[in-house]
Amino acid sequence: MLPPMEISLDTLKRMSRLAGFDWSDAELEAIRPAVARMLDLLARLEQVPLANVEPTTQYRVL
Amino acid sequence: MPDLVWRSVTELARMIATKEVSPVEVVRAFLERVTALDGKLRAFITVCGDAALDAGRAAEADLAAGRAVGPLHGVPYGAKDLYNTRGVRTTGGSKILADFVPADDATVVSRLRAAGAIVLGKLNMHEFAYGPEGLNAHYGDAMNPWDGGAHRVAGGSSSGSGVAVAAALAPAALGSDTGGSIRIPASLCGISGLKPTYGRVSRAGVLPLAWSMDHAGPMARTVADCALMLGAMAGYDPADPTTSVLPVPDYTAALTGEVKGLRVGLLRAHFTDVAAPEVRDAVLAAAKALERAGAVVDEVNLAEVARVAAASFAIVPAEALAYHAEWLRTRRADYQPDVRERLMLGAFVTGLQYVRGQQARQLLRQEVDGALERRDVLLAPATPIPAPRLGEKEATLGDGPSDVRSALLRFTRPFNLSGHPACSVACGFTTGGLPIGMQLVGRPFDEATVLRAADAYQRATDWHTRHPVLA
Repeated sequence: MLPPMEISLDTLKRMSRLAGFDWSDAELEAIRPAVARMLDLLARLEQVPLANVEPTTQYRVL
Repeated sequence: MPDLVWRSVTELARMIATKEVSPVEVVRAFLERVTALDGKLRAFITVCGDAALDAGRAAEADLAAGRAVGPLHGVPYGAKDLYNTRGVRTTGGSKILADFVPADDATVVSRLRAAGAIVLGKLNMHEFAYGPEGLNAHYGDAMNPWDGGAHRVAGGSSSGSGVAVAAALAPAALGSDTGGSIRIPASLCGISGLKPTYGRVSRAGVLPLAWSMDHAGPMARTVADCALMLGAMAGYDPADPTTSVLPVPDYTAALTGEVKGLRVGLLRAHFTDVAAPEVRDAVLAAAKALERAGAVVDEVNLAEVARVAAASFAIVPAEALAYHAEWLRTRRADYQPDVRERLMLGAFVTGLQYVRGQQARQLLRQEVDGALERRDVLLAPATPIPAPRLGEKEATLGDGPSDVRSALLRFTRPFNLSGHPACSVACGFTTGGLPIGMQLVGRPFDEATVLRAADAYQRATDWHTRHPVLA
């Protein structure tokens, strides 16, 4: 697994633009710590052997 | 009738049907209480006073004319302000939708209307249902009625629903639950709240937070009232393709009071063992009470719960962002800051991470299903802590410190991911007088057993009969 990535303002800017949002530097800087915490949490999912697990996309519609 | 507002939904329905009390009198009693107390409690965003009284008069006329009436005829309730109500604004607790007046009712509102229930008003909530504290910068923070000396949070996101029922501003309410938003306020406010199985109750006409985790459900002081409400709400709805075609059982008839031989799995690690000591002790005592009533209690652990927060962060912000994307381009300043931040996080979740979350979710579902193969229900605290003070940021749990938000979500969120039905009921009070809640979790579409167990517990205890002292 790759080591944790430094979440720079520039990274946030590029990602948010890719997603279609034109958020200001100040707005992105304000959420940078929260994004870093979230990505740390999400990285834990890569440690789980999930390759052969069918994702839950359909529900118990009987 | 001075104690009318403290009557249960079941009692009110019976009293109205037998003409012991008029529906107008009932509606008026609740409206008077709202007028007297809601300036401080802030449970309501919109009070439908005139419309509710008109509906009460129509209900009275139906009875006088001997017309057939539904099981909730003339009984008022409050709807969380994300349920569409025809002709009545539905704000989602937001400034953005402050003037949104739906043309149609949500399916659930329509079904309750068909059963005879009357909308008393629209209830406060965390903005767009995105927060477990139940805070609202636009309409004021709902105040937990159990501590008059301090402003404690009601829990959310269905904060107004919790407060309205606990303070008898309404006998019942509708809530919605994406990470615990019915069960958390039920726990913190000392009432009963049911998150049904995903697919049991229609979400059509309910503002979404995260489509794959949103559940609509009833909140009331008694489990019997939740059962009565659920019976009117549940069932297939062509307007919500995730609803099940399974028949709706008679939930009220299922409340036999009998739990002899019921197999109860007490969730220990990640749940009871990490709750605050008073909460842990209350839930252990509840397990003993169920045992004394004839249930067979054993202990069980769910290892996959350790990944719940990660799976939830992979799913909820991404789904929420999809709904809010346009407003996050054009009206960001109109969100309260904490909600805006949570919504913006969705832009940084990749497609791979979203699917990983859904895969982890499958493992959790399988594990919960496995635990319920040899048991009828699982038992755990609903929240690890009682109601925190407004502004309190950190809580101490059995495994160390936690931020309050994560703590509140910790025990409820697993069952939003797994989709299993779960009911929160009061199971004690702290030495400081704050309610403690436990939850019972059942097999998919087996709300009847969950409700039977929770109702039997209420028949054996009196926690749910206590009322907050209000000026």
